[in-house]
Amino acid sequence: MQLLANALIAGSLAALIAGGLALVYGTLGVFNLALGQMVLIGGYVTWWFHQSLGLPLAVSIIGGIAVGSIVSWLTFEIFVDPFYKRHRFLPLVTTIALSMILDAIILLLFEERPKSIWPEQKNMFDVMGVRIGQEHILLILITFLLLITFAYIMHSTSFGRKIRAVVQDDHAAMSVGIRAYAMHRLIFVMSGMLATCGGIFIGIDQNLTPVLAFPITIKAYAAVIAGGRGNFWGAIICAYLIALLEQFAVGVKWFGAFYIPAGYQQSVALVFIIFFLLYKPTGLFAGRARIS
Amino acid sequence: MDFFLHILISIGHWLPTILGYNLIFGKGKILHFGPMGVSAAVGYSLLVTLTRTGNLPLAIAASIVMAIVISTFFSWLSLRLESDAMGVMSLAVYLAIIAVILNWPSITRGALGIRNIPRLPFMESIEMFALVICASSALITFGFYFIYKSSLGRQLEALADNKEHAQAVGVNQALVYTIAFIVLGLANIFGNYSAYTYIRYMHPNDFSFVALIFSVMVVVAGKPGSYKGAIIATVLLVTLKEAIRFIPIGAEFLGPLRLMIFGFILFAAVWWRRDSLFPHQRKI
Repeated sequence: MQLLANALIAGSLAALIAGGLALVYGTLGVFNLALGQMVLIGGYVTWWFHQSLGLPLAVSIIGGIAVGSIVSWLTFEIFVDPFYKRHRFLPLVTTIALSMILDAIILLLFEERPKSIWPEQKNMFDVMGVRIGQEHILLILITFLLLITFAYIMHSTSFGRKIRAVVQDDHAAMSVGIRAYAMHRLIFVMSGMLATCGGIFIGIDQNLTPVLAFPITIKAYAAVIAGGRGNFWGAIICAYLIALLEQFAVGVKWFGAFYIPAGYQQSVALVFIIFFLLYKPTGLFAGRARIS
Repeated sequence: MDFFLHILISIGHWLPTILGYNLIFGKGKILHFGPMGVSAAVGYSLLVTLTRTGNLPLAIAASIVMAIVISTFFSWLSLRLESDAMGVMSLAVYLAIIAVILNWPSITRGALGIRNIPRLPFMESIEMFALVICASSALITFGFYFIYKSSLGRQLEALADNKEHAQAVGVNQALVYTIAFIVLGLANIFGNYSAYTYIRYMHPNDFSFVALIFSVMVVVAGKPGSYKGAIIATVLLVTLKEAIRFIPIGAEFLGPLRLMIFGFILFAAVWWRRDSLFPHQRKI
């Protein structure tokens, strides 16, 4: 039960990040390899507001989300927009360059030492034999609420229909009057905002260190690819699945004989996904493209 | 003089690796972001065997086997996955390889790295070491010229241009990709041997993301797929990389500064090459 609860917590964090990415991939067809750094920037800026400037946590979180959104908007304008219309693989390389620049900025401004937004003792509860913190419950609830809100927007509002139209075919969407390029920008910033929220949660629950960025990016994209690239719900399910695999990989005594060392936790899930993709390269929930 | 020799050795050990990577990323347009994973696997199999047995031929044989196995796996991945998925999943394989190296201390010494890597007896002096490495590197670089001009190079270009058309005229994609990946793997044997017998120490951090970016940056800056461009870019950027250490700032700022400079150079190179890095497929 504890492993399931841990998977739910880690999966909620991953789903928050991977969901936005799946939308970006669906609409723009690009991968943003500076995503992990954008996650960290949200966390670090919130830490700076709260711990260095002494602002209240709620204000710091709003500030962190605002800065994260501005960074993701600038990322779109400078590192994605001038390139993705020429070839959708170009932003893959430009965002690698951005990841290095952001890594350098993070190292210069915040140094390598771990930083915690909320270093105080956390309140833990026992729920049916499972130990869980109040911030974990909050994360699970916020993710759940966001997913419900998102499902409502996507399937019951005209804005959602516009997004789905752009995801399916942006040229066809433009021909019926939808401003597809504005939608691209909006979706990119939204995904950056969700990534920032993920970074803030990491900073509250654990510690922020610059080395976290790269594994976060890879794990989120593994969920997007395994979920059938561009499939929002596929990415969400796979984010939870990867978290579950990670927890069970190191938490179960295999064949009653041995535990897999904790150092392999992330790799075991990734290797599993890689072998699964070798068997089914389109991912778990690949939809058929509409062709006219 | 020592710094000049150091630059020569650095260029010597980077050149074969860059030319091998240029074959895949530059000529073949395969989004392979796991060359540091290949390099780490090959390097560790070479130098673990060498330090434990002291037998260089056996170490080379072990690293050749590793190069073939790991390269074939990456090639398989590139054949099964779409290009961008290959880009991300090759990074995932790279992470998994580094995790194995860090968590298997009985063999790899984990985060401690491998020390006391022996040089060949006649390569003990820095002058002799530089001479042997530069001569070997020049020979391999010359060999790469023929690979670039051979049918392998042309077939890689044809596949990058239009897979279906290339296959229609008899290009065997699986074979071409596998050979190209194995060439990179084998080039890594020389790169690792020369780099780590030079400093006599190897650490998992030597195969970091920064090293990957450096390879991507050199290939993009030198014009993807260009033999001459890759050589010129390697010479210039390796010299720049080593010269940065003379900037009079604190050591704690030097690492981030180097990251930032390389980030900007990579971005500028992509901007400059934005029409030729991934050209649109030719259509009839």
